[in-house]
Amino acid sequence: MAEVTLIDALTMAMAWELEHDPSVIVLGEDVGVNGGVFRATAGLQKKFGADRVQDTPLAEGMIAGISIGMAAQGMRPIAEIQFMGFIYPTVDQIISHAGRMRNRTRGRLTCPMVLRAPFGGGIHAPEHHSESTEAMFAHMPGIRVVIPSSPTRAYGLLLAAIRDPDPVVFLEPKRIYRLNKQDVEDNGKALPMDVCYILREGSDMTVVTWGAMTFETLKAADQLARKGVRCEVIDLTTISPIDYETILESVQKTGRLVIVHEAARTCGVGAEIAAIVAEKGIYDLQGPIRRVTGYDVVMPLFRREMDYMPSVGKIIDVIQESLED
Amino acid sequence: MTTFNLPDLGEGLPEAEIVEWHVAEGDTVSVDDPLVSVETAKAVVEVPSPQSGTIAKLHAGAGDVVLTGAPLVDFAASPDSGKVSSAQKTAATPAAATVVGNMPTGDEVLKETAIAGGSRRRQTGRVKATPSVRTEAKRLGIDLAKVTPSGKNGQITIADLTDYKLSQQKARASKSPLQRVSLPTGQAEALRGARKVMAQSMTLHRDEVAGCTIFDDADINDWLHKKDFTVRVLRAMVSGCAAEPALNGFYAPASMSHQKESRVDIAMAVDTPAGLIVPVIRNVEAMSVEQIRTAVADLKQATLERTVAPQDMVNYTITLSNFGMLAGRYATPLMVPPTVAILGIGKLQHDVVAVLGGIEVHRRLPLSLTFDHRCVTGGDACRFLAAVIEDLLKPQ
Repeated sequence: MAEVTLIDALTMAMAWELEHDPSVIVLGEDVGVNGGVFRATAGLQKKFGADRVQDTPLAEGMIAGISIGMAAQGMRPIAEIQFMGFIYPTVDQIISHAGRMRNRTRGRLTCPMVLRAPFGGGIHAPEHHSESTEAMFAHMPGIRVVIPSSPTRAYGLLLAAIRDPDPVVFLEPKRIYRLNKQDVEDNGKALPMDVCYILREGSDMTVVTWGAMTFETLKAADQLARKGVRCEVIDLTTISPIDYETILESVQKTGRLVIVHEAARTCGVGAEIAAIVAEKGIYDLQGPIRRVTGYDVVMPLFRREMDYMPSVGKIIDVIQESLED
Repeated sequence: MTTFNLPDLGEGLPEAEIVEWHVAEGDTVSVDDPLVSVETAKAVVEVPSPQSGTIAKLHAGAGDVVLTGAPLVDFAASPDSGKVSSAQKTAATPAAATVVGNMPTGDEVLKETAIAGGSRRRQTGRVKATPSVRTEAKRLGIDLAKVTPSGKNGQITIADLTDYKLSQQKARASKSPLQRVSLPTGQAEALRGARKVMAQSMTLHRDEVAGCTIFDDADINDWLHKKDFTVRVLRAMVSGCAAEPALNGFYAPASMSHQKESRVDIAMAVDTPAGLIVPVIRNVEAMSVEQIRTAVADLKQATLERTVAPQDMVNYTITLSNFGMLAGRYATPLMVPPTVAILGIGKLQHDVVAVLGGIEVHRRLPLSLTFDHRCVTGGDACRFLAAVIEDLLKPQ
């Protein structure tokens, strides 16, 4: 066991899979010689060679396209997009081809690829480097969207994503890439996808969140616990398809739901969760569902970015407001 | 001498690894000459010299890891040393936005116990109710946990709230005043027998009956037998029942049904030391005046001797209360459900009455008729009372 950061855990997972599955290949801009913009692939080319860890031209559409081609023919490509703000050229490939391969070929071909991209704000980056547009992919059929929030889940879920027979958009909350460490055993064990992870159990309030916001949400839950409020914090983890059962079970217990996400409010994944809980869990609700989210504006530059993102104080305020309903 | 510290090269990394030095100790460099290549999260980056001068000391060798902000190079003093490069300016402003920003880092070890969804045992939920039901419950001050649900999947409906409210009211009503009110210290005496029955039947009246009382007087100045009150009033009541059967019978609120009776069984409220006794004279409609007189005399005797059989005190169709024997002209007498009418006779008075041609003093009998307005209309009651008065006006 080693104490590693979230990004170290990703490197470990890719190394494990490169080692144990010859069909796995890593590709992307600067992933080879330079080891990746955030060092997620550091050392992999040296260890596994330039055939398995390939630098590509600065052409995201092409990266996605050749990944789909390889995946359909039996490879398991892991493509890196440097920032979520540059993922848009891949969208046509991902939506029109990756997500449809199984359906189009009536199950004859599948598309076992992973599209990795760091996302989210909070690192004082310039324009295009701080978006959280996970809802866009969640809306698209045939694509699984997974977001880890700890080194353990980064390791286990990336392994699961690589081994999955269908395309996975694997979004990495870069603000917490190196925020803390965790003992992660490099044993090649995958964690289940398509389920939520309950980070904290409680009976007064269900709080659903994901990505870097788990950090603020857990802090808020800690502070509220000192006031006697027991929050159940659920890490959504798989953004699509959503494990509603776990959320509905929790709401049945607590009667209240607050959703926290960094992405803009309108048509965010929080809206979908609220809709499903209203449809299937309304008889359990003791009050309105509330959301703590980013704003419906272009992500601000670094001086204002922390004002954009939900803070611990704001999460506490909304939870307390909700408890009064 | 000046020391150049390793600047934040833009990835927010805590450290960088020295790949290769481009200068050696003793070399002379100009501003922006390449000093060293370092490997960071972003890539391998060349660090330019922040100033012109002579390299006095290199703080690390190739392959060493240098922390951001730690000394990298010492420059010997030179006339040019005041000049600073863009790299140093950037490094001096910690919040500056660079190529990819400023990554927060920490050595804190994350402690968490994450439970994968679907692996928990289902727990018993709280009460199920729609938001509208919850709002209504809040308005009515009802604790939903106490309400029995009847809706789909065990949810509480608006009807459940209504039922709960009614059952609460009934539970409150079924408690006698002694149970609800605590008395000051003293000698309280529990009601027994007839008085206890009265307390119960009067509570029932208050909770159920929509009582309405009409007052009038019957002029009995022309009576031949001046003291024949009870007999005459009983006969008059038979006339009233004949004119308007609606007051002679029963009302069942649960089925909302009104049962009119052809028999006229009159209960007579009799004041006794033990309390109010209400024996019944049956089939008064079939009796002659003489038979009524005999029946009344027998009944009074039996009542005073307390020999009235229980079956002779139930199943009557209408009630007479002759309260005016003592005092009181008018009253609002209360019938016992399920009967729907009671006639009260007040204290006989000599009244000044206006007659054709002047003023006379007449004997008049005050009448108070209470009827249950749930099934008897004001018209029904007035027709009944008019017939009673008309009968009482007769000389005999």
